[in-house]
Amino acid sequence: MKCIITIELGTNAVRVFAFDLNGNVIGSQRGYYPTFHTQPDYSEQDPDQMFITMLYALKNLLNEQIHPKKYKVVSICFSSSMHSVLAVDKSGNPLGNAITWSDNRAKKETDKLKTSALGKTIYTATGTPLHPMSPLMKIAWIKNNDKERFRQTSKFLSIKSYIIKQLTDEYIIDYSIASATGLLNIHKIKWDADALKFAGINPAMLPDLAPVFTPLAKLKKAYQSSLGLTADTKIIVGSSDGCMAILGDGVKGEGKATITIEDSGAVRVMGDKVLKDDKQRFFNYLLTEGCYVSGGPTNNGGVIFEWFSKQFGDFKNPFDIEYSMQELIAEASKVPAGSEGLLFLPYLLGERAPIWNAYAKGAYFGLNINHERKHFIRATIEGILYEIYSIGKTLEENRGIKRLSINGSFATIPFCTQMIADIFNKPVQLRQNFHSVSYGAFLVAATEMGIYKNLDEAAKTVVLPDEYLPEKQNHNAYMKYFKIFERLSTKLAPEFEEIANLQ
Amino acid sequence: MHQFVFQQGLSRELHSFPHIIELGAKKNQVIHLNSFPQTTSECIRIYYINEGKFEWRANSEPYILYPGDVSLIMPNENFGSEKGVLEIGSISWIHIKISNLGNNELLKGKWNTLSETESQAISKVLLMNNMPVLSKLTEVGRILRYIHDEIFNQEIGYTTRTNQLIDELFIIITRHLTKQNNRARDFPKVFRQLEQALRQNLSQPWTVEEMAAIAGMGATLFNEKVKNYTGFTPLNYLINIRISEAIKLLKKKDIAITDIALDTGFYSSQHFSTTFKKFTGYTPSEFRKNNLSQD
Repeated sequence: MKCIITIELGTNAVRVFAFDLNGNVIGSQRGYYPTFHTQPDYSEQDPDQMFITMLYALKNLLNEQIHPKKYKVVSICFSSSMHSVLAVDKSGNPLGNAITWSDNRAKKETDKLKTSALGKTIYTATGTPLHPMSPLMKIAWIKNNDKERFRQTSKFLSIKSYIIKQLTDEYIIDYSIASATGLLNIHKIKWDADALKFAGINPAMLPDLAPVFTPLAKLKKAYQSSLGLTADTKIIVGSSDGCMAILGDGVKGEGKATITIEDSGAVRVMGDKVLKDDKQRFFNYLLTEGCYVSGGPTNNGGVIFEWFSKQFGDFKNPFDIEYSMQELIAEASKVPAGSEGLLFLPYLLGERAPIWNAYAKGAYFGLNINHERKHFIRATIEGILYEIYSIGKTLEENRGIKRLSINGSFATIPFCTQMIADIFNKPVQLRQNFHSVSYGAFLVAATEMGIYKNLDEAAKTVVLPDEYLPEKQNHNAYMKYFKIFERLSTKLAPEFEEIANLQ
Repeated sequence: MHQFVFQQGLSRELHSFPHIIELGAKKNQVIHLNSFPQTTSECIRIYYINEGKFEWRANSEPYILYPGDVSLIMPNENFGSEKGVLEIGSISWIHIKISNLGNNELLKGKWNTLSETESQAISKVLLMNNMPVLSKLTEVGRILRYIHDEIFNQEIGYTTRTNQLIDELFIIITRHLTKQNNRARDFPKVFRQLEQALRQNLSQPWTVEEMAAIAGMGATLFNEKVKNYTGFTPLNYLINIRISEAIKLLKKKDIAITDIALDTGFYSSQHFSTTFKKFTGYTPSEFRKNNLSQD
């Protein structure tokens, strides 16, 4: 029996899944790795620990769940989070830790470029919003602030490129990850001269570009034997987690959007055209030639509700945050839609789409003497989802959206799923049990094998069984408050900045 | 409260307790010069404030202590009053001799009834603590009072009960230390702190009990939480850290492989070599040959 392995290098953990050729999950393993915040705006990860953790998780999965059942691994397909930067020397060894997507150190570089004409040219060419998350900005930061590291750097990699280099000895970056670096011209699929010039690098300092299906060089001998894999196991470069999630939900074609909410979140659509936006609010990433994943990301997803639960939840057992969240949600469901006039702005971590304001902060608004704890709970969840809706709404100005699919640990809480359906006033579908990102990677690997003719066909086979239907009455209630939410989010900009400077 | 000072070697009362170097209580109504100078000692010194406000220095850092506060001074740490005088108020204290500073066995001795793993875990938490003042830990005052009563009254079983109370004293202090910044809500935060402690002391062997103690919970709950959070058992997670640190060191040419093995917490280069090969497919020397950074 044959099987496909997918490896997702996520923000906090690597997730390894094994699928049979029908797309059923036959095994999975997770491995956590830490993020280091050595200074306030810094967010880094150790590439070697990520590699070791990935190897260990993969090995455990193979030894415990795959080899005993005599499965033969046909291919291993990768996905990873976007925007990471790792400088390596000419021997390929890391110069410091990898800088992750949530790192904000390049604020100054961003402000400078954003206000220039060059900024607009680069955004239009690369599709990546000008933001400290973008590798373009991070490399510029290293050039300006860490000259010794910049001098020693032979190449700037993404985390996935580094991991693949360890396994195969090749320096490769796939289109999707490359298109999230802010350095790739997504229309020509070539490194963008203006962006490279701003970052102070040349194309030789970046990995080679590869389409999503590219089978890479063979797994190194040492890993073949330590993992018990044969020399013909294909290593497939794959894509980014964002692109895989939308593919895994089958959202290819008109009228569909997908909402992902884990700690952070995003609303995405897929199509054959780039979404143009004068206000530079959207990203446009490349899945394959002529296939763009567009949308907007938020910093403030499930992480905000987790924050709320830690502060105000009841804990029956030590560290049992799941219990605490369940209790809170049960209480929130006793309050009618709209929290009887209590509004919450969820921008505790600053915000990306659609307001793109790093200084944004949280606020409860409209508080009156009758509000109780349960109103705060519901308002908090509503605020997180209003923010998601504000991204969806700006996308809808450009694309018709008839139905939604959702994934991620926060969005799939039934209470939240129903609320998304109500706020958006659209039916919502979701996949139970497993991860859309990994299923997307399975579809890529299966298409590469020839099981599907192309990704369009692969996406069409996705059936999402559960459906939540919107309730009109709730929708009307939410919309009254959303108007205020939207206005407050922009109106408070000067106050956000002023208080951010005091904190 | 009556006032007294018992000292080992001078006071008959401490004859059956060779591990208690000093035990005392004092109600200070007049300020005397040089009554509380800064000193160092080989004991663990524990002071409890009953009344008053005391400005003390521990390891050259100033601290202000109020009633209910405890100062916990580890061996060889400098400790005493800011101005050398004991302020007006009431305090009680105990000095405990430790057996061995080197290998996590601070409390080893016949008197001690803690199990070996628990004793080691407590030692580790005490040694890694850098907070000499524990605020609002009134249980310490209560236990010290019981110890005084036992030693004064010498009722049947008093040696056993006194020693049990000292064990309890260390248990209470250790629990407080591990909970000081953690309200049993934020496991990721607790895990981050633990991870930091592991990295800073990577050359040491760690048991699950010790790690659990640092995280402020029992071994069973700890095991379950870590497995859930990381996908690995605590010991396997620790091996991840050891191997990733070793990888970094192997890429630098000037550190011998034996030293890397010990620095990253393996018993021997043989143990390092087998574990490393199991994880990465390469022996440390093969790995070094392939990955050494060129200048």
